[in-house]
Amino acid sequence: MSTNLNMVFESPLAGVHHNGHISIQDYTKKHRWGLRGKGAAEALRTQGWDLPEQPNRLVSSNNETLVMALSQREFWLLDPENDALAVAMDEDFITDAYPLFCQDSHAWLVLKGHQTSALMAKLCGVDLRPETFKIGDVAQTQMALINCIIARHDLAGDDVFSLFVDQSFAEYALEALLDARQEFL
Amino acid sequence: MKIMICPLNGPRNISEFVYGGQVKAMPDPQSVSDVEWAKYVFYEKNDIGVVHEWWLHSPSSYWFIAERHNASDEIIRTYPADELFQHRIEFTSNEGET
Repeated sequence: MSTNLNMVFESPLAGVHHNGHISIQDYTKKHRWGLRGKGAAEALRTQGWDLPEQPNRLVSSNNETLVMALSQREFWLLDPENDALAVAMDEDFITDAYPLFCQDSHAWLVLKGHQTSALMAKLCGVDLRPETFKIGDVAQTQMALINCIIARHDLAGDDVFSLFVDQSFAEYALEALLDARQEFL
Repeated sequence: MKIMICPLNGPRNISEFVYGGQVKAMPDPQSVSDVEWAKYVFYEKNDIGVVHEWWLHSPSSYWFIAERHNASDEIIRTYPADELFQHRIEFTSNEGET
């Protein structure tokens, strides 16, 4: 028996794409799911996923899916190549762990360009320069005073930031980013 | 801005943290009197000195313990809660209770 965990939905940002020296693209409709609990790591390894060795790291696994560890017991799986799907999980699979509805709870924005670190420095207190915040690093922090998960990773050969904010803050986050971006246009 | 070191996430602005009350030893909920239980739930010590407190790193929903001097406001140490709490406590109601 399996349970449908996610319903396909529309992004509040409607897949918007702002081009420029720093591009901002809405990835909210891209597929992602998560698992949390003391059995989460074991369950994912059994399914053949590679996991980061420590929290706040991200690795690429199985056909470019990004596996992000937010703690020893919480993992998000991000698929930037495919649109959201209804996820089915066997009940056996989720023993000692429970699914996270990060598809529905969070908006996903991708920043690309040469000065993304300088832009983010205007909005976030964490040092996100490439020499200190390397590809595969994840920061759970605040951006423009709202909670945000920031990940630096490779996306089709580009060094990008993925930002995850509460979906109800999606429009605010985009406005803050567009405002901060103006001096880099 | 004041910086606090989250055991999971590292140094972060203090605005990312939420205070969660003092760390207190819980009396046995089955045998404790109502008065003692109310003291446990509602009373906090107000002495000057180093206090042990629950803090939440809000962006990651991570609860941990901080040792802080409540006069100087110096944060002496922060550490994961499992340094003090190793076992899950199961709450079962007494027979006949609803």
